[in-house]
Amino acid sequence: MRIANLFVALAATTVMLVGCASQKEPAEKAVAQVESAVAEFRADAEKYAADELQKVDASIGKLKASLANKDYSMVVKAVPSLNSTIATLKQSVASKKADAESMLAAAQAEWSDITAKVPQMVEAIQSRVDTLGKSRKLPANLDKATWETVKTDFETMKTEWTDASTQFASGEADAAVRKAREVKAKGEEILSKLGMSPS
Amino acid sequence: MSTENPYAQYHVVKKGDTLSKIAEEYYGDKMLYPKIFEANQDVLQDPNKIKPGQKLRIP
Repeated sequence: MRIANLFVALAATTVMLVGCASQKEPAEKAVAQVESAVAEFRADAEKYAADELQKVDASIGKLKASLANKDYSMVVKAVPSLNSTIATLKQSVASKKADAESMLAAAQAEWSDITAKVPQMVEAIQSRVDTLGKSRKLPANLDKATWETVKTDFETMKTEWTDASTQFASGEADAAVRKAREVKAKGEEILSKLGMSPS
Repeated sequence: MSTENPYAQYHVVKKGDTLSKIAEEYYGDKMLYPKIFEANQDVLQDPNKIKPGQKLRIP
């Protein structure tokens, strides 16, 4: 009886070991496939969905730990769910990237429009400010306080335009466009105070 | 070829206008009329001769 029990236990252990060993290769393949799937879009994921990527990486880490502990069945069991998470992440990254590219294209188009206008605005205002600076008296439509404000605002406008141009050159198109809009609005206000608004 | 600045200001000469009067209107100082003359050399030969209807750029 004892021998029989020992034989049964041995047989069960053998079956378990064979079963485990048979899952080793699929488990290793699955982990490699999961890592490869993430590697395909990792660079974009780091840029557009860093938090979600971190969660996926943590799950991959757990899978690899299970693999190292020879818990192959756990790995094989967990992979389908992780694959699904990865597919969702991939879709989310693609969508966020498309949105970002579309926003960038719009910002670049707006920048191109503003960049054609602001330097002309600056040129027109500069010319008038220089001439008024030489005048012995201000024109009837411009009082002294407004003239002082115009001079200060114009200097600010030029500084902000330089800042916006620097931002755009360094790839911050969105921030550059926001600042450029403010610069253009300030320029229009100055033109109006100087009585130069286009009719 | 230079493109026209859309923010440049223009004055259409009226009967009785002189460059000095125009300079006073826009700059507050009659003596700054040469600025307007210099900016309109393509249409003006003589600062004392301007004609109604002429479109002058006011720099």
